[in-house]
Amino acid sequence: MTELSATFIVFAFTAASLIAIGFYSFITGPEPLRRILALNIISAGIFMLMVVLAYRGYDDTAVSVGDPVLQALVLTGLVVAVSATAFALAMLARLEQQKPEQQKPEQNRVAKSQISRPEQ
Amino acid sequence: MSPFWLSYLPVAIILSSLLPGLIIFTLKEQQVKLRISLNLLGVSVKLILVLIMWQAVKAGDIFYFSLPFLPGADLVLQGDALSLLFVVLSSVLWLATTIYAIGYLENSPLRSRFFGYFSLCVSATVGLALSGNLVSFLLFYELLTLATFPLVVHRGTPQSLAAGRRYLAYTLSGGLLLLTGVALLHSVVQSPQFIPGGYVSAVVSEHAMLLKLAFALMIGGLGVKAALLPLHGWLPQAMVAPAPVSALLHAVAVVKAGAFGIIRLVYDVFGVDSMQQLQLAEPLMLLAAATILYGSWRALAQQDIKRRLAYSTISQVSYITVGVAMLGPLAAVGGLVHLVHQGVMKITLFFCAGNYAETLGVHKIRELNGAGRRMPLTSAAFTLAALGMIGIPPSAGFISKWYLGLGAVATDNNLMLMVFVLSGLLNAGYFLPIVYRLWFLPQRGSWPQEQRLSASLETHWMLLLPMLFTALLIILMGLFASTGVSPLSWAQLIVEREFSYD
Amino acid sequence: MIIVLLLVPLLSALLMLLWPRIAPLLALLSAAVSSLFAAKLLLQVNEQGTLQWLLAGWPTGLAISWQADSLSCLLILLCSILQLLVGFYAFATRARDQLSQGFWPLSTLLQLSLTVLWLSRDLFNLYVCLELLGLVAVALVSLSGGKAFKPALNYLLLSLFGSLCYLLGVVLLYAVYGLLDIKGLAQAWQADWLSSCALLLMSLGLMLKAALWPLHAWLPAAHAAAPAPVSALLSALVVKGPLFILCLLWLQLASVQQAQLVAPLFAGAGLAALLFGGWSALRTPFIKNLVAYSTVAQLGYATLALGLMLKFDQPLIFAALWLFVLAHALAKAACFLAVGEMSATLGGKRLTIVKGASQTMPLAMFAFAVAGGSLIGLPPSGGFVAKWALLQGLWLQGELLLWPLALVLATLLSAAYVFRVVVVAFDRADPVAPDFAPQLLPQWLALLPALAVWAMAMFSEPLLLLLRLEA
Repeated sequence: MTELSATFIVFAFTAASLIAIGFYSFITGPEPLRRILALNIISAGIFMLMVVLAYRGYDDTAVSVGDPVLQALVLTGLVVAVSATAFALAMLARLEQQKPEQQKPEQNRVAKSQISRPEQ
Repeated sequence: MSPFWLSYLPVAIILSSLLPGLIIFTLKEQQVKLRISLNLLGVSVKLILVLIMWQAVKAGDIFYFSLPFLPGADLVLQGDALSLLFVVLSSVLWLATTIYAIGYLENSPLRSRFFGYFSLCVSATVGLALSGNLVSFLLFYELLTLATFPLVVHRGTPQSLAAGRRYLAYTLSGGLLLLTGVALLHSVVQSPQFIPGGYVSAVVSEHAMLLKLAFALMIGGLGVKAALLPLHGWLPQAMVAPAPVSALLHAVAVVKAGAFGIIRLVYDVFGVDSMQQLQLAEPLMLLAAATILYGSWRALAQQDIKRRLAYSTISQVSYITVGVAMLGPLAAVGGLVHLVHQGVMKITLFFCAGNYAETLGVHKIRELNGAGRRMPLTSAAFTLAALGMIGIPPSAGFISKWYLGLGAVATDNNLMLMVFVLSGLLNAGYFLPIVYRLWFLPQRGSWPQEQRLSASLETHWMLLLPMLFTALLIILMGLFASTGVSPLSWAQLIVEREFSYD
Repeated sequence: MIIVLLLVPLLSALLMLLWPRIAPLLALLSAAVSSLFAAKLLLQVNEQGTLQWLLAGWPTGLAISWQADSLSCLLILLCSILQLLVGFYAFATRARDQLSQGFWPLSTLLQLSLTVLWLSRDLFNLYVCLELLGLVAVALVSLSGGKAFKPALNYLLLSLFGSLCYLLGVVLLYAVYGLLDIKGLAQAWQADWLSSCALLLMSLGLMLKAALWPLHAWLPAAHAAAPAPVSALLSALVVKGPLFILCLLWLQLASVQQAQLVAPLFAGAGLAALLFGGWSALRTPFIKNLVAYSTVAQLGYATLALGLMLKFDQPLIFAALWLFVLAHALAKAACFLAVGEMSATLGGKRLTIVKGASQTMPLAMFAFAVAGGSLIGLPPSGGFVAKWALLQGLWLQGELLLWPLALVLATLLSAAYVFRVVVVAFDRADPVAPDFAPQLLPQWLALLPALAVWAMAMFSEPLLLLLRLEA
C-alpha cells in the first residue's frame, strides 16, 4: 500500500470522517452518554488511522506485518480507551442512580413552569 | 575591627522585637503579666543594642550583615548614621507607646494579637531603617504594610474594616509601584548597597529616561506611605484604629517609612549630583509643598480631633520631603531633624487625643471646652506639642523649621520660604483654637463618657507617663539642640557624611 | 535509583489494594522514601549533569527514552514532598472528614504517573501518563461522592477528549516522521503544515487538561467539589503535568517561526486567564471556588511566561515560568488545606464562614494569608522571586511598558481576592460553642507549605541558576 494508492486514501478518509463525526457530536452534545459514545468514535477513528498508517509503504500482496511500533501503540491505546470508557460509564451509572431521589422536586418545578408559561 | 558578634548587631536589633512578638502570639488572653514582661524585655534589649550601635556608628563604624537573596541583590542590613536616626526614634517611641498601649487596652479583648502585631510592626520599621539596599528596603516596606493591617482593623467594626480595605488598597498599590520601580532600577544598575552620593551617576547620561521613570515609580510607591498629595487618602480613614496605633504607626512608623525611603532614594541611591542632572528635585519639592499647604488647609476644616491631627500629619511629613528635595545641606539638616521632632511632637498629640477619648469620651473638638481644668497635665502636654508644631521657640519644632528656613534661603528658594510662612500661619490657625478651648472656655455640660481611671491622678498613670515623657523630650530637644546628644547634632553628622562623599 | 522512584509507589499502591488497613501507613512510607530518593536524584543530576535512559535496552528510536534533568528532578521532589504532606493532612483528618479508603492507593498512583510524566521524553509514553493521570484525578474528585459526580464526570469527559486530541497529534507526527522520541523529532523537525496542525491539536488537548484559559471552565467546579487534600493535590500538581508537556513541545520541537506565531496567542491567553480568573475569584461567593479560580488565574502567569519565552527566548523568563509553577504548587496546597480545614471546622462553603477566623482559627488563617502573599507576589516569597525574574527578563529584552503593566494589573487583582478573604477573617468572630476546639495539627500542616514558599525566596539564587541552565 503506497501513500497514493486508492485503498490507502479510502481507509484514511474513513478514519478522518470517523474522527470528524466524533468531534462534532462531542462538541454539540450536552448528554453525557452521547459524549462518551462520541469519544469512542473518535478513538476508533484514531486507531483506524494508526492501523492504516502501519501498512503504509508495505507491500500489500505479500504476507506483511506492517509497522510493529504502531500496532503496539494501537494495542496500548485500546486498553486505555476501554478502561476509560468503562470508568466513564460506571460514573454515569452512579450519577443516574442518584438522580431520581435528588431531582424529582426540580423536575416538578420545571413541569409547572412549562405549564404556566402559555398563560403569561 | 570589632568582635564578630557585632556584625550580627543589626539582626539582633530586629530580632529583639520580632521574637517577643512571635511568642506573644501564642499566649493566652489571661497571661497579662507574662505578656507585659515580654514586651518590656524586648524594648529594653532593643534600647541597649541600639545604644551600642549608636556608640560605634558615632565613632565612624558601619555595620553590615548580608544574606544571599536575589541574584545581584543580597538581603543587606546596614547600620549607618542615617539608619540609626530612624532606629533610635522608633525604638524610643516604641518604649513610650508600649506602656501607653498597655494602659489603653487594659481589659479589652484580643490583646495578644494586638501586641503581637505591634511588635511585628516595630520589627518591620526597624528593619526598614536598617536595610542596606533597595531590595531589602522593599521587603520590609511590604512587611510593614502586612503587619499594620491587622492593627488598623483591630476593632473589627464595619468602619474599621472599610478603613482597612482602603488602607490595603492604597499601600499595596504603593508597594507594587515601588516594586516595579526597584525592579526597573535593578535592571539598569543592579541593587548595590546604599552609599552617600548614590550609585546611578555612571549611567545617568545613557539611561536618563529609564532613571526618571524608575524615580517616578518609586516616589509614587513611597508617596503612598508618606501621604504625598494625591496618595494621602488612607491616612485620615486609618484613624479608626486604637489610639496607640494612630500614635506610633500613623504618626511615626508608616508615614516616616515613606519619608525615610524618600531620603534614602534621594541621597543614597540617586545622589545630589544625579538628582540635579536629571532635574528630579524640583517636581518632588513642588509636590511636597502642595501637600504641606493642602494638608494644613484640610486640617482647618476637621471637627474630629484625630482627623485634624491626621491632616496635620500629612502636612508635616512633607516638610521632611521638602527639606530633602531642596538638595542643600542646611535644608537637609532641617528635613532630617524634622523626622525626629515631628515624630515626637505628633505622638504626644495623639497620646493626648487618646487620653481625652479614653477618660472623657471626647472625640470632637467642640467637646473639648474647659478640658484644661479637668485634665491639666494632658492639656499642658497638648499645648506644648501644638506650639511646637507651629514652630514657637524654644520647642523642638522651632529648630527644624529654622533650619528648613535657613536651607530655603541658602538655596535661594523664596517660594519655599513663602510656603513655610503660610503653612505656619495655617498651623497656628488649626491648633490655637483647640488650645484656647482647652484653657479659656468654660465646660459645656457633662463629659460624654467620663471614667475615673485613677484615684488621685487625672487618668491612668500608664496613659500619663508616656505622654509626659515625650512632652519633656520636645522641650529638651529644643533647649539642648546644640549639645552632642541632640537629634540636631546627629542630623548634622549625617549631612556632613552625605555631602562630603567626594 | 530511578527504579526505586517508580517501584515504591507502584508496589505500595498494589499492596494497599490487598491490605487496605495499613494503606495510610504504606502511602506515607512510600511518599517519604520517594522524597528521599528524589532529593538524592536531584543531587546526583546536579553533580553529573542530565541522566538519560533507553528503556528495556532497545535501540534509539524504538525504545522509550527517559531523561532526568534538574527541572524534572525538582518537580519529582516537589511532587513527592507535597504527597507526603498532604498524606499527613489526610491522615490527621481522616476520621472527621470521612475520607474514603480509596484516597490512599489513588494518591500514590497519582504520584507515580506524575513522576513518569516528568521523566518521559517519548510522545506516546507521555500520552499514557496523561491518561492515567486524568483517570486517577477524576477518581480522586469523585471520592467526595454525591454532588461531586457531576463535575467529576464533566472533568473526565473533557480530560478524555483532551487526551484524544493529543493522541491524534502524536499519530500525525508519527505519520510524518516515524518517530516518537522528542529529541529525535526535534532533529528531524520541518515546519510544514502537517506538523503545525499536529502541534496545535496537541496543544489544544493539553490546554484543556491544564485548564489554561479559555479552556478552564471545568476546573473550578471539579476542584471545589473534591475533598480538601485532593483539591490541594489537583491544584498543586495535576494541572502542571500537561503544562510541562506543552512546554516540551513548544520549546523543544517547534521551529522559530512556529514559536513566534503562537507566542502572542499564549501570552494573550495567559493575560486573559489572569484577568478573568482574578475577576471570577473576586465575585464568587464560595471560598473553595475562590481558591480554584485563583488557580486558573495563577496558571495564567505560567502561560504568559511560556508565550513570552517563545517570543524572546530569554532563559530568565523560562526560569520565571518554573518558579511560578513551584511557588504556586506550594502556596496553593497551603491555601486548599487551610480553607478545607476552616470549612470543615467552622462548617459551610461560603466565604462568610471565615468571619472572625483570625480569632477562632488563627493558624489556618495565617497559613492562608501567608500563602496568599506568595500568590500576590509579596517579598520575600516564591511568587515574588518569579515575578522579579519575569520582570528582569522582560527588561533585558527591552520590553518596557506593555507586559510589565499587565503584570502590575494582575498583581492588584490577586491582592484584591486574597485580601477579600483576609478582611472578612478580621471581622469580630461570632461567639463560639464552649466545646469549640479546632484541631491544631492539620492547621500546622497547612502552614508548612506556606512557610516553605516564603523560604523558597532564600534559595532563589541557586534555583534561578539551576532553571536558567535548563532553558
